[in-house]
Amino acid sequence: MATLDFLVELGTAELPPKSLQKLSKAFTANVIDGIKAEFGREAKTLLADLQVNSYASPRRLAIKITGLVTEVPGSENLVQGPPIKICYDTDGNPTKALLGFAKKNNASIEDLSDINGKISYLQQLAAKPLEQLLPEIINQSLAKLPIAKRMRWGANRIEFVRPVQWLVMLFGDKVIDCTILGVTAGNKSRGHRFHHRDDIVINTPADYEKALEKAYVIADFAKRKAIINAQVIEQTNKINGIPQIDDDLLDEVTGLNEWPVALTGAFDVEFLSVPQEALILSMKEHQKYFHTVDSNNKLMPYFITVSNIESKDPAKVISGNEKVIRPRLADAKFFFENDKKISLEARCEKLKNIVFQQQLGTVYEKSERISELAGHISNIIGSDPTKAARAALLAKADLITDMVFEFTDLQGLMGYHYALNDGEDIEVAQAINEQYLPKFAGDELPESKTGITLALADRLDTLTGMFGIGQPPTGSKDPFALRRATLGVLRIIIEKNLDIDLKDLVSLAVKQHKAIAVDDRNSIIEQVVSFMLERLRAYYEDRKVRIDTYLAVAKLAPTKPLDFDKRINAVEHFRSLPAANSLAAANKRVSNIIDKQIPNANQNIDTSLLTEASEIALHSQLTSLIEKLEPVFEAGDYQGALTLLAALQGPIDQFFADVMVMVDDQKVQQNRILLLSQLRQQFLKIADISLLN
Amino acid sequence: MTATPVPKGTSFQDLIQRLQSYWSAHGCVVIQPLDMEVGAGTFHPATFLRAIGPESWKAAYVQPSRRPTDGRYGENPNRLQHYYQFQTVLKPSPDNIQELYLGSLEALGVDPLVHDIRFVEDNWESPTLGAWGLGWEVWLDGMEVSQFTYFQQVGGLECYPVTGELTYGLERLAMYIQDVDSVYDLIWAVNPDGSTVTYGDVFHQNEIEQSTYNFEHADVEHLFSTFDFHERECNKLLAANLPLPAYEQTLKASHTFNLLDARKAISVTERQRFILRVRTLTRGVAEAYLASRAKLGFPLAEENIRKEALAALEENK
Repeated sequence: MATLDFLVELGTAELPPKSLQKLSKAFTANVIDGIKAEFGREAKTLLADLQVNSYASPRRLAIKITGLVTEVPGSENLVQGPPIKICYDTDGNPTKALLGFAKKNNASIEDLSDINGKISYLQQLAAKPLEQLLPEIINQSLAKLPIAKRMRWGANRIEFVRPVQWLVMLFGDKVIDCTILGVTAGNKSRGHRFHHRDDIVINTPADYEKALEKAYVIADFAKRKAIINAQVIEQTNKINGIPQIDDDLLDEVTGLNEWPVALTGAFDVEFLSVPQEALILSMKEHQKYFHTVDSNNKLMPYFITVSNIESKDPAKVISGNEKVIRPRLADAKFFFENDKKISLEARCEKLKNIVFQQQLGTVYEKSERISELAGHISNIIGSDPTKAARAALLAKADLITDMVFEFTDLQGLMGYHYALNDGEDIEVAQAINEQYLPKFAGDELPESKTGITLALADRLDTLTGMFGIGQPPTGSKDPFALRRATLGVLRIIIEKNLDIDLKDLVSLAVKQHKAIAVDDRNSIIEQVVSFMLERLRAYYEDRKVRIDTYLAVAKLAPTKPLDFDKRINAVEHFRSLPAANSLAAANKRVSNIIDKQIPNANQNIDTSLLTEASEIALHSQLTSLIEKLEPVFEAGDYQGALTLLAALQGPIDQFFADVMVMVDDQKVQQNRILLLSQLRQQFLKIADISLLN
Repeated sequence: MTATPVPKGTSFQDLIQRLQSYWSAHGCVVIQPLDMEVGAGTFHPATFLRAIGPESWKAAYVQPSRRPTDGRYGENPNRLQHYYQFQTVLKPSPDNIQELYLGSLEALGVDPLVHDIRFVEDNWESPTLGAWGLGWEVWLDGMEVSQFTYFQQVGGLECYPVTGELTYGLERLAMYIQDVDSVYDLIWAVNPDGSTVTYGDVFHQNEIEQSTYNFEHADVEHLFSTFDFHERECNKLLAANLPLPAYEQTLKASHTFNLLDARKAISVTERQRFILRVRTLTRGVAEAYLASRAKLGFPLAEENIRKEALAALEENK
């Protein structure tokens, strides 16, 4: 079939750089989906060879589709109506039902036929030129973009991310005649704001990228990103530094440029006395600069800015940027020097004025609680209780320093620097820095024992407090990020190998809250522990553990995360054994039987009632296995236990093949159920294997 | 002073004159500053009130702005409690508004092929004005020299047509163009004999004394009662169908709130309450102003928009 290349470019005022890629991807996906929908079942074959290129820059979103079939082929569509028996009256005349159906389908009665007892119309759908359908597809695709806030401009009601300025729509070399978002399609695009002020004529979709490049616009986002990356590296090499290219920053900078030119500027070395994270943040957040480090991983007194111009005088651009960063770094230095004048300890008093949460009191009260709690946790995990309590008391004091007020992301880290400056113990300082770890999925965990203690105490305090005042997270509402906090606690316990029971930990935390009445404690503890166990599901999902493995362990609700984890690993290992599937099935079968016929727990197996060879075999194997398993369970070696239990596969399968459990003789029946239940008990010491699929 | 000689025509007062003549040439009414304490050019009735309703409007003006909490006793080279904004409002925002703005920079001597000029996403919201808009910060070699906003809502009312607001930070822009590091070193004027008057000559003492007043002497108790008074007065004037004087009372209440803030007399939770009180006043003013213009038949509106707006108001009754 005939094909043509298609191009759509929506020209706009400067788009938000952080959402540029998201908009571009959604636009492309919507357009492709829209085209496919027109082709229906034919899409698979007719659109198989589509080659799609997306373009995104500050002033445009564009898509080029190469080799697009020009026509949606005609087709037949069977429309069925009422049963044939109500279509004609006793005299054989058409009824209202029949006439209505014919009218609805714009068909005459002769065109209708009886198919499977229903009046039917075989509709002939004519072939449609795609050109006529594309405007509406584009229109719908733009309407469905994920735009957080749409805006209006001028004196019209049209809404978009930013004002829309032009539209290019080409199918082959022909402009598709249409008006979308208030602009009429043409073949004229625009180049770089300053380097190329005239319109550019795009003759064919294939010319697009080159034509724009001539007009100082690199339209392809990925290409522009790669250019910037290379330029930043080149600039870094000139100053013998090691480039530090944060991918999010690179994306943002790519969204701010059409014709990137990286330039290096310098700042005064005196600023290097400030903790480098503060300088880096200041350069990155406010100015979108890249920083560099030397071979000792120390910040160098340079910055790399990516301008959007091939300047006639780059020195002017550099000196302008240096002029901007100077007062910013001077602010950071001023904050740092000034903050050091008041010790963290002295600052704590001021935390009394900051409300943490209305019912849970001030940040000062929170500090007192976590200090007390940290002391208790120390006793469990063997850290120094004095240091832990001290670190907890000072932990939040940096929140009221000027530096953290300006750069919230530096909380903890500034506390670390100020604590060292105050002459606090190094581990206390380190713990203050580590309290917020892990900050995100996959982030590092606290290293020091005191840091671990503080990180646990802080999160447990918030978690139990919010549950205590009846504000657990609901749906998308989780203002205190309790889900993330919980995941942090679980990761620390499991990955730092801490032998702690959540019940103990949560009870200790609950006791610190005045807001929780003594009578309510038990119910709060129960809620929090079960919330935490439920969060393990997300943890194991992240670790790519199969969901039924999690469910098999969670069924037993072991409240020690480390123990939970061992069981998970054991089950995962068990599932790699050949016997696993049939043992899981056997467990399911046993579980079904036991569910209906609850065995008498006080009864022992009566060996004299065992008659069939395979039940005798199963019993003897199980008995000797139970003996062997005892020390294995004692050692908490779940994996070893499951491996031993796997040996039962043969005997169990044989048992189910040969033996009827639900026999008429009640005693025999009961005895067999007892045998099976004993077998199941062994598995249930690890996990409910019957839940494995 | 020994600073490098300033390029001709770039004194502080030259810049203001150039902006005024540029925007005058592009059809703006050049008006004078509001004679009251306000935090930004947006508070001038020529922006806030004119952004409401269907009427067209183009204006440019300098607005002295006061932000008591930003005072630094004249010690910080970049921060002032009293500074100047140059404000341009274009309603409806024309399609070439960015090009017009860039033209104004060129009129100030900024060559866009030398300097790196960028429009960087910036969303604006003023809780006290019940207003929000989308737009950009404009960067000149990395320095934010202007704010560019398409008003979407003002005084709780939807903006239609949309006002485009351009706000130039005059001191920053001048510091950039004159290449000085301290605002006090800016050349305000060059006399015929070649001698100069600096920004410091004009304003340094004022910064010291006003900072001292804002942070140390402003009478908190009296300010609280003043706030209450202006709130009452505003409501009284709204009841009397006098939106313009009522608006002035809102501005006075707002500045009183800023002074209390500088005195750290307002706690975090109370802050929200005060903001809400001012917002309630501005909303009342906005509605009353719209009604008063409707009564006049929106004389400055384009015919089709005027009819549409009047019909919409009729329908809502």
